[in-house]
Amino acid sequence: MATAVASPPTSAPPRTSEEERVRAARRRDRINAVAWRLAGYAFFLGLWEFASGRLMDERLLPGPVDVLRTFGELWASGKVPGAFADTLTRIGIGFAIAFVVGAAIGILMQNRLLNGFFRDAVTIGVTTPGLIWALITAIIFGNRPWGPLIAIVLTTFALISVNVAEGIKALPKDLIDMAKSFGVGVVRRNRQIVIPHLAPYIFTGVRFGFSIAWKVTVLTEVFSSSSGIGFEMRTASQLFRLPEFLTWILAFYVFALLLEKVVLEVIERRFFAWRDTIKS
Amino acid sequence: MAEITVRNLHKEFGVGADKIVALDDVNLDISGHVFVSIVGASGCGKSTLLNILSGIETPSHGQVQITEDGRPAAKGYVFQAARLLPWRTVMDNLLFVQKDRSEQTRARCQRYLDMVQLGDKGRKYPGELSGGMQQRVGIARAFSTEPDVLFMDEPFSHLDAITARSLRAELQNMWQETRKTVIFVTHDVGEAVELSNRILVFAKGGHLADDIDMPLPFPRDVADPEVAVAKANVFRTFEQIGALAVS
Repeated sequence: MATAVASPPTSAPPRTSEEERVRAARRRDRINAVAWRLAGYAFFLGLWEFASGRLMDERLLPGPVDVLRTFGELWASGKVPGAFADTLTRIGIGFAIAFVVGAAIGILMQNRLLNGFFRDAVTIGVTTPGLIWALITAIIFGNRPWGPLIAIVLTTFALISVNVAEGIKALPKDLIDMAKSFGVGVVRRNRQIVIPHLAPYIFTGVRFGFSIAWKVTVLTEVFSSSSGIGFEMRTASQLFRLPEFLTWILAFYVFALLLEKVVLEVIERRFFAWRDTIKS
Repeated sequence: MAEITVRNLHKEFGVGADKIVALDDVNLDISGHVFVSIVGASGCGKSTLLNILSGIETPSHGQVQITEDGRPAAKGYVFQAARLLPWRTVMDNLLFVQKDRSEQTRARCQRYLDMVQLGDKGRKYPGELSGGMQQRVGIARAFSTEPDVLFMDEPFSHLDAITARSLRAELQNMWQETRKTVIFVTHDVGEAVELSNRILVFAKGGHLADDIDMPLPFPRDVADPEVAVAKANVFRTFEQIGALAVS
């Protein structure tokens, strides 16, 4: 007896050559972009290596190879992770306080009178350079731990306030009315409408706030601290150890890149994937 | 059976010289499986009436009662824009307005998505859908709560004519199938004649100017002479009232 055997469904329709070509072009484009980026690194590092010892005294401008070696030594000695831990703890505590204070002010500013009460303070907070707070707190607090914390709070709270206030002002009333007309309770409304709406505003505030907090912290450590990255930089410069000084700058870059490329991008992909759908 | 009773309904916005009367002494009785259209020029208070009926706004004075067999009726709403949460998938948008997240509820949501022909789009985000599809999701969302009364505020006015036409046919089918009471606001007289068995005409100043019965059988073909005559009649009433409002 003959059995009719259905041919297995092909998993995907055969790709057209057109699609294949587009894909290849995209791949080429990506490779090109990476190549140019690497060429940039090679050029500037090469220039630096060339200048060191030829255009400038090696003691004044140690080359990248020298710096990299020092980086390895400092890392092995535990100095780099230790200094980072100190600095990051300061940023963590200071920024957490700034976030709570900033968000609270942003919420309170919805009230017309309280808006007047806080408005100029927030403007001053946004416009004053971090360097000024770093100097002032260094003079007032010396090397007590309060200095960097207060400098961080003063430089970053206003950024959070402004973003939170903007986000609240732009709350999607049409969606909230929709939810009300369907009898959706206030808790679910807040969780599903208000928080997702505010998330990008808060994220922007945190992102810029954090990058500023980072700079201010290192500055205050340069002026008035006995630990952390800024302190290590000051020590290295006072002892005229330029390879060490540059090592700290290198460590700084590595960390910033890591934060930008890994942490922030993961957050963005995880929570804001829906935004790409609007563009497409 | 759903019963809507409106007594001496009055609504005004603003104070003093800026006062605007949106609804002026409106009295209404609607009951059972009917499709009621509210038509009128813009600014005649038809959306305000819908918002008060659905509970988004409160009346300045007067009473509104909406019941289903004596208990408060469950309400659904379809808006002019789809009003979907852009950060939730289509299915999650439907689940958002449900009382629970049980398997049964999910199955019901899926059934209504199938009904608007978006059964395979549950995992998409609203931003990935066309305007007509988004509005379909809005309609599925309103039906999926299985309301006793469904309020629709010019749901097709933002869509192109062809999409609007196919959605009207779908809505007609869903209304026949689910036997809801539908209150439908539109400024399109043709749409009102095609869909409803009762048309309430509102005039400027927010008063109910006419209440027209539309006994023609469904589905109605716009090319049918009887439908065309009915449409012409409504237009005539409309024009008379329009003239009255100007004087």
